[in-house]
Amino acid sequence: MIGLKGTLNVIDNSGALLVECVNVLKQKVNNGWGSVGDEIVCVVRRARPISGQASASAPKVRQGDVRRAVIVRTRKAVRRPDGRFIRFDDNAAVLLNNKREMLGTRIGGVVSADLRMKGWGKIVSLAPKVV
Amino acid sequence: MADGPTDRANCDLLLTSLLSRSPSAQMKVEIDSFSGYRIYPSKGRVFVRGDNKIFRFATSKNESLFLQRKNPRKIAWTQVYRRMHKKGITEEVAKKRSRRTVKHQRGIVGADLAAIAARRNQTAAIRAQQRTAAIQKAKAEKKAKEEKKEKTKPAHKPVSTAPRVSKQQMKGGKGGR
Repeated sequence: MIGLKGTLNVIDNSGALLVECVNVLKQKVNNGWGSVGDEIVCVVRRARPISGQASASAPKVRQGDVRRAVIVRTRKAVRRPDGRFIRFDDNAAVLLNNKREMLGTRIGGVVSADLRMKGWGKIVSLAPKVV
Repeated sequence: MADGPTDRANCDLLLTSLLSRSPSAQMKVEIDSFSGYRIYPSKGRVFVRGDNKIFRFATSKNESLFLQRKNPRKIAWTQVYRRMHKKGITEEVAKKRSRRTVKHQRGIVGADLAAIAARRNQTAAIRAQQRTAAIQKAKAEKKAKEEKKEKTKPAHKPVSTAPRVSKQQMKGGKGGR
């Protein structure tokens, strides 16, 4: 249940560490709560310090950037079709660009398997573990 | 409030009847991470911790106790506790646990297995024989030694008296001072 002002950890290697939700992009409503697999607009609150070298995993975002992201883990339980409820220990997201493509190249951490059902197969395939 | 074990027994019957008709791979019965109870599909919750460890809870009771960081080993109705205190296990199962170590005969550096076996299998008669033979041998050797000694002793005597002269006398020094 991510809404305005909700903070999420960023688990890809785009360079951001913490993002704050600004808007939840759902088809019919603009406000409301975001869950796993929902796209949100967010502000980068904390990012990894940018160094002088241009390496492959150089941070692509800076603090204060407004980006899009997809929620991959929530503390609020999500219901699976078999009736089970899954909840994680934190809220996490993966940054995207405007074309629904990932900004980072790698994901570090567990992601929810509900992503596959919402159409984020690319993220699921990159994740080291899917629960 | 449904009683834990009987409620699950009913679920068991229901599940087996369902499964017998249409086998599906997803219907796996999990076990609760706290109490060890069986979790049937559509029951309970799953919690994924920050270190990516998965915990399954059958009821909110189990979940609450886990989050309070209670030790299941101290909670009397959990499977962990019952197993630790050996509750409800029949005597037969408990006895099977004791194992007997089989002793193997091993050879030592000085005597290999064959030598040990040979020694052990010698009968008393043979040993007595060996003993008498050894005694006789020892006696004979002793006799021979004594004879040898007597022969050589007188021969040595004059030789031994010569060096009895003290060093001073040999050197021819001052006498007696």
